[in-house]
Amino acid sequence: MKRVFTALMVLAVFSVLMVLSGCKKTPPPRPTPPAPTTSTPAPAPTGGPAPTVEIQASPSTVERGGQATLSWKTQNATSVIIDGGVGNVSETGSVVITPRDSATFTATAKGAGGEARASTRVTVVSPKEAGVVTSSDIDNILKAIADGRIKDVFFAYDKSELSPESRSTLEQNAKWLRQYPGATVVIEGHCDERGTEEYNLALGDRRAQGTREYLVQLGVTAEQMETISLGEERPFTPGQDEAAYSQNRRAHFTVKR
Amino acid sequence: MIVRSLAQILILLSTVGLLSAQEPEIVIRPPITGVTRLAVADFQSKAAATAETDSALKVFNDVLWKDLDFSAFFEMKSKSFYPNKPIRVPLDVTFEDWQSSVVNADFLLFGNVQLAGGGAVVEAYLYDVKTKQQVLGKRFTAASTTLIRNVAHNFADEVVFQLSAGTSRGVARTQIAFSSQKGGGKEIQIVDYDGANPRTVTANGGLNKFPEWSPDNSRLAFVTRLPDSSRWEIWVQEVSGGRSVLSTPSSYASSPAISPNGQRIAFSSRSQEATDSDIYVANVGGGGTRNLTNHQGIDTSPCWSPTGQQIAFISDRSGGPQVWVLDADGSNVRRLVLEGGHCDSPEWSPDGRLIAYSWQAPTQWKHDVYVVEVATGKIFQLTVGGASNESPHWSPDGRHIVFQSTRSGSKQIFIMNADGKNVRQITAYGINESPAWSGYSKREQ
Repeated sequence: MKRVFTALMVLAVFSVLMVLSGCKKTPPPRPTPPAPTTSTPAPAPTGGPAPTVEIQASPSTVERGGQATLSWKTQNATSVIIDGGVGNVSETGSVVITPRDSATFTATAKGAGGEARASTRVTVVSPKEAGVVTSSDIDNILKAIADGRIKDVFFAYDKSELSPESRSTLEQNAKWLRQYPGATVVIEGHCDERGTEEYNLALGDRRAQGTREYLVQLGVTAEQMETISLGEERPFTPGQDEAAYSQNRRAHFTVKR
Repeated sequence: MIVRSLAQILILLSTVGLLSAQEPEIVIRPPITGVTRLAVADFQSKAAATAETDSALKVFNDVLWKDLDFSAFFEMKSKSFYPNKPIRVPLDVTFEDWQSSVVNADFLLFGNVQLAGGGAVVEAYLYDVKTKQQVLGKRFTAASTTLIRNVAHNFADEVVFQLSAGTSRGVARTQIAFSSQKGGGKEIQIVDYDGANPRTVTANGGLNKFPEWSPDNSRLAFVTRLPDSSRWEIWVQEVSGGRSVLSTPSSYASSPAISPNGQRIAFSSRSQEATDSDIYVANVGGGGTRNLTNHQGIDTSPCWSPTGQQIAFISDRSGGPQVWVLDADGSNVRRLVLEGGHCDSPEWSPDGRLIAYSWQAPTQWKHDVYVVEVATGKIFQLTVGGASNESPHWSPDGRHIVFQSTRSGSKQIFIMNADGKNVRQITAYGINESPAWSGYSKREQ
């Protein structure tokens, strides 16, 4: 009985369908298959919606040593990577950066639907005279001078040329100074007492200026360094033998508050 | 290298040889053709002597004697040979006593002092002993007895002017400026040429160095580094009053020298980015700045010739620091001293014939004062001994030199005759250096 009922129902449905389709006078034309779209940005999707990503920096221009905030938003992404040293990040978020030089940050979002990229540029400019250096920065620099991490450089008698050892010392000093481009560094030039006062004032100046010139070549900001010759006025040690004299023929670093 | 030092030793030896051969002839001009024998009798109190007049006269007589002796014009026999009789006025003088074989004076000075109302009146006489004629008769008034030194200086200069037939106005009224250590700094001071009467010109606690006088004595130019400053500045300061700061191209500025006509100033400086200093000139009031040497090497210590047409300076462009000369427009640059070693502080004599400077021989630590004859390049050594002698400067009559010496144990100021004789110490305490001898003050010109 049941089998007969089911067959009769199928027959009925089928008949209704046949009648309905038969009501039209002419059958509709079969639709043409859709043409492929050239605007698809991602490679052939394997399935799922394409990821999207936006990124921006605020501010987009900073002074060297200053901070900017990178923020991004993604959709349909399972992994987000930002270059320029930022790395793996969450789908949406922000991070504070302190860029040394101008750079472009690119966020790459990957998901089941493909990959998307977006970029933003941060421009780094030199700090203004008023400086982006804090009081504790100055303390740090003074401490580094006091405990010899920023060292004096020394000179031969009556000479202002930089020895290989002096150059090496200045390379170390430069690493420090480049971290604080807002600090005003004063390079003092000194002589031992054996020459005459007038000549020694000029010689001390040549030692200080030569030291500054080399530091500029090492990438220290020229504008942040001042020089002053102190001739034979301020010896490091008052002794009158070569051991003392050699300690007095120097370029010495200090920083202005 | 060895040959070079040998040559230098030979030059040094021949220089010393030259010195002894030419000693009587060098530097003091005109040469002393005859000796003027001068007797300087103690001035007396006009009225009855008191403790006050005694102390005023002691100072007066002492200063007068030293001024006349230092002038290097006279032979002055010791007072112990003088006739005993005190002289106040010409009527007191028995001229025959002064012609005796022991004293044998050509000229006689004498006079009297009267104290009145806190001040002093001095009558001073200069007589020709043989002719018994008055050469000078003067009355001086000092507003206070503390100024009695000045009266002695005034009269001494008049005697020198008179008896040198106008060759020299004397130096007794001149001043010496220098840099004097004070606390942690150095200040500019002025003293009378004999070291008396010190006055401060600066009191800023900084480093004030290398003073030079303006030609009319009204101003001093020097270089200043205020405490903790990262800049040297050239100051031109009225001796009693205001100052101006000369604009200079960088933090290094040194050795200012005002030109003989008072309008230009030469100095050592450099541009902002250069390493080596140059000689610059500018208007004293500012503006008109020009780099005259613009050459590698240190250029410093400029000084003007008396005509203002040339500048002598120190340059190490050929090795060590040497004396060079150029024309005031920067042309005709030439080296003057060819000895090697280390020269500094050239100063042109008032008659243009000589340049005094300090020189350190290549193997020595100490410096000495030398003069070079500009026309011939001949060199004469003025100081000797174990101490270091630097920073010479001529007196305005060209007969004396002031300099800095360590011979007393610390850097002090000394004066001497331009032939190296008759050295006198004029400062004694602290540390005193880089002296400059004034010209004649405005009043006297």
